[in-house]
Amino acid sequence: MDYLFVAVVAGLAAVERKGFLQAMLSRPVALAPIVGFALGDLPGGLLLGPPLELLWLGAVNMGASLPPNEALGTAAIAGGAVLAGRALGTGVTPAVAVLAVAAAGMLATLGRTTDRAIEEWNVRLAARAEFLLERGLPAAAMRENLYGLAAPFAVSALLAPAAAALVALVVPAVLRGFPALNAPLGWGWAALGGLAAAAGARAFRSARGIGLFAGSAAVTLAVGWLLGGTR
Amino acid sequence: MNVPPVTLRRVFWRCLFLQAAWNRRGMQNLGFAYAIDPALRRLYADPGKRREALRRHLATFNCHPYTAAAIVGGAIHHEERVAAGQEPPGAPLAFKQVLQGPLAAVGDGFFWSGLRPFFGALAAVGTLALGWPALVAALLVYNAFHLWLRWTLFRAGYRSGDEVVVRLAALSLPAWASRLRDGGAVLCGVAAGAGALSAAGRISPWAGVLAIGAAVAGIVALGLRARLLPTAYAVMAVGSAVGAATQVFRGGR
Repeated sequence: MDYLFVAVVAGLAAVERKGFLQAMLSRPVALAPIVGFALGDLPGGLLLGPPLELLWLGAVNMGASLPPNEALGTAAIAGGAVLAGRALGTGVTPAVAVLAVAAAGMLATLGRTTDRAIEEWNVRLAARAEFLLERGLPAAAMRENLYGLAAPFAVSALLAPAAAALVALVVPAVLRGFPALNAPLGWGWAALGGLAAAAGARAFRSARGIGLFAGSAAVTLAVGWLLGGTR
Repeated sequence: MNVPPVTLRRVFWRCLFLQAAWNRRGMQNLGFAYAIDPALRRLYADPGKRREALRRHLATFNCHPYTAAAIVGGAIHHEERVAAGQEPPGAPLAFKQVLQGPLAAVGDGFFWSGLRPFFGALAAVGTLALGWPALVAALLVYNAFHLWLRWTLFRAGYRSGDEVVVRLAALSLPAWASRLRDGGAVLCGVAAGAGALSAAGRISPWAGVLAIGAAVAGIVALGLRARLLPTAYAVMAVGSAVGAATQVFRGGR
């Protein structure tokens, strides 16, 4: 049942990402909590969403270019991490999160390849629409547009739960076999958070972006240090 | 003959499916024809003329999915005139060809490079600080604004046709995009600082230093065009190795 939830949420996210609406519901910051909520671990999804969002902030479909499929990657990472955390009885910890990203992050890159294949598949839909129009069937021709939603749904609904299953299998085995890894992997999660923020700043391509990024980070650290110091 | 408001609303709803069958040959051609079809059905009672109109909207088309709403509205504006015999049948196609490039550039620059990543960063920082209510609030504000703007562009295109360019220019979207990009970079800096403070409190002060180091390394590496995912793997591995070394060092003392 859990994998069915992952499949449905990942499939709907794939549709929302490009084919319908594009209301940010398939962005990692929203999708990871949705997956977490669907699997009964909202806090786990909320832990994963922000760094993944910042990491893939620049994953934008401009013109005919294809970015990594951040929605597919996020669905697999969040689904796998929540199920792994449940198997361990700890929920999604930083150690679980790092291993889930390491195991399923590549799916975003694979998603770019499947997106390309879907675009080629859709050429047939457009050709069929033209054929139906010539046959005097305009309503049937226009329906071909909606059939274009099926392929991204199916691909994500198959790949995301498969990758989540892999994460749910591997991560508990690793952390049970090597419990001493929990603490070091927490450091890895902290480092990934720093990189994600940097990747987000880079994604804005602002002329003053790096200076603003550094300045606001310094101010946040100073304010946090002062508030922490006066407690 | 004018297209009735209920049909216009239906066309706008169908605009949300513009990229459903995005393809390498005609790009958004099928989505465009699908969106405008209810209006064409109203304008051309003769099936042959409707088919001819649909055929011209199956020509290659590509634009930003939000700003394309203005072109769909403007195409209906021109189709009304074609149906009334005031314009040649090629007028809607010419309108689309002239505007799709500039409006794609405006949409990519404002929505995809400014507004959406800004709200992504805002939602991320808000979630880190306040949890899910901040996330929901950010999504609601983004969608209220983006849907309002899509509808406004659609209506402006329908009412003013070619003049929609003037309406769009009045919105000063490139200037707003620049401000949003700056604001987004600030939000990412806040996220970096807050993440480092959190790591310092949760793990150790050195973990906070590591997080800042990873941010600096990320800025440099990505500036040198390093690929994102391999960089993320390297940073996670190095961060974990530093954590392990620290553990060993502490255990040895």
